[in-house]
Amino acid sequence: MNSSTFAFLDEDAKKEIRRSLLKAVAIPGYIVPFASREMPVARGWGTGGLQITLSIIVESDTLKVIDQGCDGSVNAVNIRDFITSVTGVESSNETSAATLIQTRHRIPEEKLKDNQILVYQVPYPEVLTTVEPDTAKQKQMHGDGDYSKLWVLLYEDTSQYGDSRISNRYPVLVNKHYVMDPSPIPKYDIPVMNNNSALQLFGAGREKRIYAIPPYTDVRPLKFDDREFKVENFSGIACERCGATDVFFDEVRRGNKSSFFCSDTAFCDAQLEKNNAA
Amino acid sequence: MSYVAIKGGTQAIHASKKLFRDLIHEAKGITDGELQQGLLFACDRIMSEGALYSEKLAAEALRRAGGDLLEAAFYLRAHRSTCKRIGVAELQNSNSMQVLRRISSAFKDVEGGQILGPSCDYVIRLFQTHVQDDEEFSPQENSLANSTPSAMESLRRNDQIFTLDNHEKKPYDVSRSFPLPPYPRSALMQVMSRGETGAMLAFAYTSMRGYGDVHPTIGDLRIGYLALEFTHPFTGKKVKIGEIRATACESIGSFNRDPRDGNLRLSTGFGFCFGFNETKAITMSILDMTMHHSGYSVGGVDIASNPEIVIHHIDGIESMGFANHFKLPHYVTFQADLQVLDTAVKEGRNE
Repeated sequence: MNSSTFAFLDEDAKKEIRRSLLKAVAIPGYIVPFASREMPVARGWGTGGLQITLSIIVESDTLKVIDQGCDGSVNAVNIRDFITSVTGVESSNETSAATLIQTRHRIPEEKLKDNQILVYQVPYPEVLTTVEPDTAKQKQMHGDGDYSKLWVLLYEDTSQYGDSRISNRYPVLVNKHYVMDPSPIPKYDIPVMNNNSALQLFGAGREKRIYAIPPYTDVRPLKFDDREFKVENFSGIACERCGATDVFFDEVRRGNKSSFFCSDTAFCDAQLEKNNAA
Repeated sequence: MSYVAIKGGTQAIHASKKLFRDLIHEAKGITDGELQQGLLFACDRIMSEGALYSEKLAAEALRRAGGDLLEAAFYLRAHRSTCKRIGVAELQNSNSMQVLRRISSAFKDVEGGQILGPSCDYVIRLFQTHVQDDEEFSPQENSLANSTPSAMESLRRNDQIFTLDNHEKKPYDVSRSFPLPPYPRSALMQVMSRGETGAMLAFAYTSMRGYGDVHPTIGDLRIGYLALEFTHPFTGKKVKIGEIRATACESIGSFNRDPRDGNLRLSTGFGFCFGFNETKAITMSILDMTMHHSGYSVGGVDIASNPEIVIHHIDGIESMGFANHFKLPHYVTFQADLQVLDTAVKEGRNE
């Protein structure tokens, strides 16, 4: 890879992104606009997360990249290869070994620590888009703390379908102030965001927005007091490969039969190793 | 086991890239010069939508992308991100363009003349060509006209043109920060100038055809060469360091009462892009006009006059990337979708 600067982006771009990140961390859940450079991978394929990663990565970092929880997924491999080729940093599949984790659609099963940063790839940064597409009105609504349209949506879904129809990207209230889009992670991962030890950064390249959840921040799903927040139900299911239970599963259908495997493949590998050692 | 197979992985990527290169042969037999000359408009579109003026890289991008213009423009955009900005060139007025072609549909005769120049407007698009007929003509040696004033100059002199107030001290720079609404006009112009030709045309067409009300007259359309001038870092003097091909279009819309003095004046719009691309410059001028003179818009559903619609949806690199991202795995979100469906179905049964 022919790159004259460390981590692909020119230094001015990195500085600008770091400034946006600082603002985002200072105001948890608040959406900060940034210029968003074009990356050599296409928009919608993780360019927001990639720009954050490249702006904060240092030589001593250990990088992990996952897509759907998997290190071996094509897009994860592609992004990891690109980042390591323009930085020379070490990469690892092991969650606990990584200092910088870029992810799409999942949070690792293993508990994160306070020396780790989790960078999310975000397609739709604005939680209000589904109920109000106009940017100016969205900004006003955030300023007023006016999330009534989201509450109405939640009410209508609950009355008609028994629960919200939002399966992923479930709206969360951050630090009791801004309502935020958590990126398309399943509801299963939402409670993990709350009071997490790691710094969580969110990058939307196409939409040119950055936001953040600092470590140990209060993150709650938007829900009615008398309703339980229900995450995906995998009760009675164990991973066919490692035997793990109580994790998020990939369902593989073959004919009429469904098989379940850990969505987090690094976790699955570790379990398997533990089983073999025992 | 099949578990591994569905995850793809490193080997699959490498194999896929190799198969792609084999599929298109990377146009190895075609030289840069042949691409730049013979596929001039392709290269110009790539530079315009890629927002980087480099004929050499445009040709290389065209080759690598197998002729896919969106993909080729994307190569240039990505390359931009690695380039450090060394400075800002001097402002150029499109009236100072060395014109190769300049026409006005508003006036029969204009100062500087109607210069038809090279155009495919009057080509009969049949494969049975009549090249012989054209060969008999020997056009005058193409002497480039310097500094041709806009054909709309007389209208401006007569105070018949509505001039928008300029609240911007210096132009916005969308490549360094992205604006929040209300969007500055200079930001909209930049986003449009690097926008996708097809998207520009489609949005402008909604306005021309009925969802909006812009029926423009082309006041001045020109293609030609613009000097690239730079302040010399040591001498401090302006020096010409090159020139770029460009297209500029000023169009005229309907008139309205100017709220500042109550006089009736004509609205106008401006379009500009790298390279020769008349469709893009004309339709950009229409969008500029409809967004800043939305008072003329009629009908309930008007898309093109809304800066919110234009600024977020006109960029080809972004929309193309996002449309294609749906090819990425969505196992986790779809798994979650199915569970929600399941819950809703069970709830329905209980009723």
